[in-house]
Amino acid sequence: MKNKIKCAVTTENISAIAVFVFFLLYPMLHSAYKVLNMANFLITVILALSLALIWGYTGIFSYAQAAFYGIGGYTYAIFCKNFANPSLTPIFLIAGVLAGFLVALVLGYFMFYGGVNDVFVALVTMCFTLVLETFLAQTAGPEWAIGKAQLGGFNGINAVTPLTFGAFPVKGEALYALVLLLVLAIYLALRIMEKRNLGYCLLSIRENRARSEMFGYNTAKIQMVIFAVSGAIAALAGVLYTSWGGYIVPSAVGMTQATMPVVLVAAGGRKNPTAVVIFTLFYLVLSQNLAASGSQYSLVILGLILLLVVLFVPKGIIHSLFEIIDEKAAVLLKNGSIRTGGKANEQKNP
Amino acid sequence: MFNSIFNYFYQFLDSFSFLIIAVSGLAIIFGMMGIINLAHGEFIMLGAYIFTILAKASVPLVFAIALGTVFVGIFGYIVDKLVVSRLYGRALDSVVATWGISLLLRQGILILLGPSIPGLTTPMGTFAVGSSTYSIYRIVLAAVAIALLAGVYWLFMHTTFGLHSRATMQSSTIAQSLGINTGRMYSMTFMLGSALAGLCGALYAPTMTITPTMGQAFQNDSFVTVIVGGANPLIGMTASGTVLGVIQSALSMLFGTFFGKIGLLVVAIIVIRVLPQGFSGMIEKHMVKGKR
Amino acid sequence: MSKKILELLNVSKNFGGLKAVDDVSLSIEEGSLHCLIGPNGAGKTTIFKLIMGIYPPSEGKILFDGQDISRMPTYRRVREGISIKMQIPGVYLDLSLYDNIRIAVQKYVSYHMIPSEINRLISLVGIEDIGNPLVCNMPHGQQQWLEIAMSLASQPKLLLLDEPAAGMGPEETEFTSKIVKRINEQGTTIIFIDHDMDFVSKIARRTTVLHYGKIFAEGTFDEIHNNEDVINIYLGKV
Repeated sequence: MKNKIKCAVTTENISAIAVFVFFLLYPMLHSAYKVLNMANFLITVILALSLALIWGYTGIFSYAQAAFYGIGGYTYAIFCKNFANPSLTPIFLIAGVLAGFLVALVLGYFMFYGGVNDVFVALVTMCFTLVLETFLAQTAGPEWAIGKAQLGGFNGINAVTPLTFGAFPVKGEALYALVLLLVLAIYLALRIMEKRNLGYCLLSIRENRARSEMFGYNTAKIQMVIFAVSGAIAALAGVLYTSWGGYIVPSAVGMTQATMPVVLVAAGGRKNPTAVVIFTLFYLVLSQNLAASGSQYSLVILGLILLLVVLFVPKGIIHSLFEIIDEKAAVLLKNGSIRTGGKANEQKNP
Repeated sequence: MFNSIFNYFYQFLDSFSFLIIAVSGLAIIFGMMGIINLAHGEFIMLGAYIFTILAKASVPLVFAIALGTVFVGIFGYIVDKLVVSRLYGRALDSVVATWGISLLLRQGILILLGPSIPGLTTPMGTFAVGSSTYSIYRIVLAAVAIALLAGVYWLFMHTTFGLHSRATMQSSTIAQSLGINTGRMYSMTFMLGSALAGLCGALYAPTMTITPTMGQAFQNDSFVTVIVGGANPLIGMTASGTVLGVIQSALSMLFGTFFGKIGLLVVAIIVIRVLPQGFSGMIEKHMVKGKR
Repeated sequence: MSKKILELLNVSKNFGGLKAVDDVSLSIEEGSLHCLIGPNGAGKTTIFKLIMGIYPPSEGKILFDGQDISRMPTYRRVREGISIKMQIPGVYLDLSLYDNIRIAVQKYVSYHMIPSEINRLISLVGIEDIGNPLVCNMPHGQQQWLEIAMSLASQPKLLLLDEPAAGMGPEETEFTSKIVKRINEQGTTIIFIDHDMDFVSKIARRTTVLHYGKIFAEGTFDEIHNNEDVINIYLGKV
């Protein structure tokens, strides 16, 4: 038992606790406006975690997360416009998530059962996102409507009913709490999964897909299902965003939107969800300081970060930091003749 | 009757040449290195900008096109030396890195030159068949596309560079043991692919609005053409350019340009399920069978 | 008569113009320790890949335990009871030894049994002394033993070993031959490919010789070993 506790004391776990405590205390220390902003950022974290699941854990690079985000958001908005009863909105949330799941399932079927290579998956998902965005942007005319919901072209769908439970619309601090709860749930699910069969299954696909097939894994089906799950999570983020702002626009599906999770995951550390969450926080601070100089430069910074990280710190900045600190700590503690459990001989999964 | 056949043929030529000219650089790089340059659209955009700036400065059009091609080729060489060459063998990472580059290029041009610069009008005027008018320039582009295919064929089949390229594509380890400097092959190929992207931008610049995001118009089509074409640049390009050209022009004529684009994506998704090696995989199998 | 666990019936495999496997009919009895030998390029690894389902045969049928598996996908064949150790070590280089075996094992035992099953496989192969390093830091021979352990995780009826002693010195080869015999004695049918005739002579009971994709000779190892024609094909005279 003592060994287990020693094993659990890692930089990653300590920082995870610190970060979530920070998020928990945030509303008590900041204005309503800032809390709302932070809620938006947490929604982006959900989107990033969906990419971490498919790219970091399973090794499938998908550009389609933004597309599923948009599909979730638009589905929720369309339902809200067609059925004015606000207490039905939780059902619409589920509808949005389901829409993301199903579309991803179908796209995944075509990609993974054909056995197409990894680079092509990146291309196909990128084309999918591009086409979706273009499609949504040109739906300006009145003939583009689903039921009572006008798709609205560039302007998207506005005045969308926020998520409401019973008679209570989820706004402000309540929304923040809901989003934080979901982030925590997804994060914990990923951490727990890592050590269970599913985590190792995804690991085997990431590390050597062909060989895993020969250990009895139905790799096509697994990839398809995980792709669908990550689509569902991305769609959830989209629904939350639409509820948060009351609108959804085609640029939410755009290349810029698709960039964000890629940078967060790549720069944080795609194989490590804690690193992703922490880097998002770091990016929040960075971008708030950049906001003064204008958003044009923020995209340049994003591009640079991406480039430099891939070239020089491919594991991700935060993830690499975790490992460096753990190693240094292990050395220090060893010198102080306190054992650190089973980490001396075996190394963590990279 | 003749008028509508000609109309359709013209649309097909238009699609075909767009696909071929847009994809040639991408296909060569992919066929050689297995890398997709996600900044391909932005390289095309660069070519368009350089051409437009030079042409507006009264440089003769042909020179402007040539210079656009050369400059983007050199730029590609620099990108290869700084970034891509460190990522040989890490195909997925190069995808992410080149996307970073595409971001930088798009935003960089936006910041430096603003949201658009004045462009040229399509040169060479029009001709009429029946009641419809057609652009002569587009016919010229079709000729360029065919010349491009012929040029690529000549390059790969009748030059030493081509021989070395094909050897490296088949097996880089064996090529190395035969004394071929594969690193240099990759760099030259990336440079060639970039130059072709620049050429595409320069050629299409007079027909489009010159904005930093104009590369995106080429992105979808060229990616789909590469996916459907498969690993062999020559066979892949020709086969998929033709087939996709037919499909896209038919759909565009019936339902509008946007459905032409969706059609391409749907075809790509079906093809990867049914023919994961693309057309070149399927055709190569039959070609070798025939030789027996 | 012993049951036939594997049958190849007139199996051919073409790659474009190349006939890698040419009308091969082969039957393997349950419980046997069968060796497939022949010069390089004779088609041995291709036959293994056909048995595993990495690609389908161009002609002919493959029967496993009486069932036609010619079109069955690879993962299902593994679950039916075929397993393989590849020519180039098919192990997860960036993971630890335990994690490697864990991945191979977790489909076949319940969650609580996984640690004990990992230990069982380690003892079965005899690699307890290696500890738990990262596989990329392990020498080639140990990687091969690890892969054998992993290939046993599915408790296969038929195990294919592609060059199990490749690149090993005499002591390691001896160790490997003991492993292979032990596995066979416990009831697993084994087909293996190797070029080391010493190794083959120690363990093979039946031998099939392949040449240019066709079966050239079959018999006990002694019959084959002394067959002049077989010697000639290795010397390139045929």
